Amino acid sequence: MTDWLLTSFGGLTPYILVAIFGFLPSEIWRVAAVFVAKDLDEASEILIWVRLVATALLAGIVANIMTHPSGTLAAVPFGARIFSLAVAIALFFVSGRRVIPAVLSGLGALLLCGWWVG
Amino acid sequence: MSLDDFRQGILEAMSGPAFFVAIALSGVGGLARDVGHPLGAAVVSTLLIWAGPAQIIFYGMLATKATPVAIAAAVTLSSMRFLPMCVSLLPLLRTAKTSIWTQVLASHFVSVTVWAECMRRVPQLPRDMRMAFFMGYGTACCLTSAAFTAGGYFLFSALPPLFAAGLLFVAPLYFLLAVMRNARSIADAAALVAGAALTVPVSALTGGGADLLIVGVLGGSLAYLVHRKFRR
Repeated sequence: MTDWLLTSFGGLTPYILVAIFGFLPSEIWRVAAVFVAKDLDEASEILIWVRLVATALLAGIVANIMTHPSGTLAAVPFGARIFSLAVAIALFFVSGRRVIPAVLSGLGALLLCGWWVG
Repeated sequence: MSLDDFRQGILEAMSGPAFFVAIALSGVGGLARDVGHPLGAAVVSTLLIWAGPAQIIFYGMLATKATPVAIAAAVTLSSMRFLPMCVSLLPLLRTAKTSIWTQVLASHFVSVTVWAECMRRVPQLPRDMRMAFFMGYGTACCLTSAAFTAGGYFLFSALPPLFAAGLLFVAPLYFLLAVMRNARSIADAAALVAGAALTVPVSALTGGGADLLIVGVLGGSLAYLVHRKFRR
């Protein structure tokens, strides 16, 4: 399907991919929310399930990037990636669930490990 | 809607939060370059999709040569979170006079960070200034992030490979931790753990682009069972 898009739209293909397969499937929920906001209970069971599926999906994405990264991140050894993730999560809890110091410490750990390994 | 309230929203976003989101989305610029997309498409993805996790999924799955339909399915699942977020935020923003189109525009600016910050901040404001404030806040976050996405795209080629790797590392890490910060229940924690733990065996068993959907539905449903068990 991507091949067909490539031959049909040439240089515009990335924009069409973003619009149709990124923007539309994402935006539909925001637009839908405007119309259901009146009727839907925020604590309804289906929304709880949806939120949990979305949360698990995000964790899966992160795990996938850690175990099978693309591009330059793949050059950093697996152990270093997992160690840096662990450092960030540990600092997140130690710092009282603060995101920015945790991200920066994880980044610092990754850079140090990468530099150490050479 | 007053210009002063709009400006107030911009100022508060630029006092910190806009840059945190923007730094996370600069990594998306790197991911986009990784799959061979032009700069414009990376910036448009931030302005239009405006959802870091969805953009990471979009470019992460493009990198694995997943089919566009599988990508759209994964993106829509990840963005379902905007439904409860917008549903909970819009009633705080609107007045009796607010039009549908204003609400549609406002809901576009909802992202994990904007939602989390504004759910806390907006109720402190008088109702008639909330919508303008929110529009300013969202616009500032969105445009700053678009600029950083472009910056990340360029930095990606100029940086030493190790720093480029760091840029790719920051975005998924930021969104994981931002979701962890918002995780309030044991079911949320279960969803995070199940999603991460299921990824390795499920991708080994299935391969292909749909495996993350399976991880999400399986992990989320497991977490939902946890939710049912602990509620009683």
